Amino acid sequence: MSSALSPNLMLETRGVQRDLDAFVVAVRFDRTGRTAAFALGDGTVRLVALADQQTWRTVAVHDGAALDLAPDAAPAGFVSGGDDGSFRRIAADGAVTTIASFGMKWVERVASHPGDKGKGDKAGGLLACAVGKTVHLFDQSGATLKAWPHPSSVTGLAFDARGKRVGASHYNGATLWFVAAKTDSPRKLEWKGSHTGLALNPDGDAVVTAMQENALHGWRLSDGQHMRMSGYPAKTESLSFTRSGKWLATSGADAMVLWPFFGGGPMGKAPTELAGGDGVLCSQVACHPQQEVVAGGFADGLVVLADIPTARILPMAAPDRGAVTALAWSADGRHLAFGTEQGFAAIIDCAER
Amino acid sequence: MAITQISPGAFPGASPGTTEAAQVPVTVLTGYLGAGKTTLLNRILTEQHGRKYAVIINEFGELGVDNDLVVDTDEEVFEMNNGCVCCTVRGDLIRILGGLMKRRDRFDGIIIETTGLANPAPVAQTFFVDEAVRAKTRLDAIVTVVDAKHVLARLADSHEAADQIAFADVIVLNKTDLVSPAELAEVGQRLRAINRFAVIHHTERAALPIDQVLNRGAFDLARVLEANPDFLTDDEHEHNDEVTSLSFEVENPIDPEKFNAWIGVLLQDKGADLLRTKGILNYAGENRRFAFQAVHMIADGDFIGPWKAGESRISRIVFIGRNLNRPQLRRGFEGCQAA
Repeated sequence: MSSALSPNLMLETRGVQRDLDAFVVAVRFDRTGRTAAFALGDGTVRLVALADQQTWRTVAVHDGAALDLAPDAAPAGFVSGGDDGSFRRIAADGAVTTIASFGMKWVERVASHPGDKGKGDKAGGLLACAVGKTVHLFDQSGATLKAWPHPSSVTGLAFDARGKRVGASHYNGATLWFVAAKTDSPRKLEWKGSHTGLALNPDGDAVVTAMQENALHGWRLSDGQHMRMSGYPAKTESLSFTRSGKWLATSGADAMVLWPFFGGGPMGKAPTELAGGDGVLCSQVACHPQQEVVAGGFADGLVVLADIPTARILPMAAPDRGAVTALAWSADGRHLAFGTEQGFAAIIDCAER
Repeated sequence: MAITQISPGAFPGASPGTTEAAQVPVTVLTGYLGAGKTTLLNRILTEQHGRKYAVIINEFGELGVDNDLVVDTDEEVFEMNNGCVCCTVRGDLIRILGGLMKRRDRFDGIIIETTGLANPAPVAQTFFVDEAVRAKTRLDAIVTVVDAKHVLARLADSHEAADQIAFADVIVLNKTDLVSPAELAEVGQRLRAINRFAVIHHTERAALPIDQVLNRGAFDLARVLEANPDFLTDDEHEHNDEVTSLSFEVENPIDPEKFNAWIGVLLQDKGADLLRTKGILNYAGENRRFAFQAVHMIADGDFIGPWKAGESRISRIVFIGRNLNRPQLRRGFEGCQAA
């Protein structure tokens, strides 16, 4: 038996794959973990029930390109935004409904939160989308709750872990809005420059943005401390905290770059670089929802897993399928899905056997 | 962007593997309010040319035709935090072009209409500064629509009018029916004084064959420079606040290191005044032409095709800007010749 594992072994033996013939904009699993969805540049969303992975259902959602995708706040289904100005809901069975329409403005970012599970029927799931300079907040039924204005276009959008706050990045900083506030007085985080994406630490104490100048900026909320993370050869398109909040994985270098958010870091600490050395840019990262494991996709199509404590690398898919543009884990951490700019898409079962 | 070195290969876009065919051409349409930009745009979109264009308009735009790829944007200009005072880019364009690339199979080109008062520099600089934008798109030409009747008044009362003309690869001199032949000649002279290197088309109601405007490859320096037979004519406008253009050429090969050192310092010091700099260089020991261009302080360069057999390998450089010091620029360029 050969000792050299094929880099495609996982894909070939434990994956399903398709050529979808359109730019894969985003991939997500719904909150039940039963369905995966790929949002594409041709405006369709492809749904795959994990119980029947040979059937890929094509759903026409946007008249144009899909721009972002998130799981619905409800247990099943998804929400998506498109360059047709619509914010839509896609049920797990493929039924599409419009939550809101914004004319010629693009719906560039979408996000959701399932609400507080302890409250039963008053769960209060939330949906949000960024349209131009405004973030629109909806309840789970799709009724408008808020419309928050910003000084410039919103480029990144995320709920915090508890669904209490929404972070939005834009020029000259980021804004944290309080979902339940009766009068909106957001916390403004300022730093000059163009901020192009955003992530919130699950511990609730850090906001990190990607910047146009190939660097990250962060704010520690408890004391307002600024964090600057630089040295990237390219823009960071993808930011992902581990579940523990200890590590922030990032794209934009020829390795996955992980910044330590513990022991006083990231200030004054060197980041950990994983799966580097090929001179190919990392384009997507996704931290495992439970373990200290991160998946990375690269500009040549390579997809790998890295165990953070040991730095061990397990290849998932070999290069040559186009830059990885979408990457996501199912909530139980069993399935990894990815897609590329050439339209290659796959779901791999990573469960231990 | 403070450029410290401009050597072949220093530019990410300079890799031999770069395939221009994959890059979508982008046409930037500028011009003062009322000059005829929207009329020209409507002509482009309604003419039966079999091509499909995405159009990015500003929020005040009035587009009369139905085109399902019209994107409405707020012009969001911001400064790069890179120590370069005049490095401004259009953040909205970076996002929109990135979004359009996700559906790139669906159109043949992109047209960006700027607001009437817009300075073209941030638009042009966006194509130099953002890696994702330059990987997927190519600035085809900056087309400036000029109102023959009012341009002289605009030039007298604003900087932007001169900047728009200075940045142009193609000038559409519109509303020629509203001026006398003498007035038209005066306007033409004035445009030439500002920008000797743009192609000028005279039009009424912005009527001209659209292949004169789109897919020009005007940013292809070789064509820009070859298209200018009056390259060597002297320019009487110097040492003043008006925008002028100057050109120089040398016959001996250029030493890349000397050129990098000179142009790097020059753009750092004078970049605010230098609107556009373009050159075709004959590097010593190199069989290919090196094309150089800059917008203010931001520079870019790449080898383009080889010199043709029998072609005289003359290095040429063009400056369009304010306060151009002819003797100093000439000495500097001549000092770049290989020993």
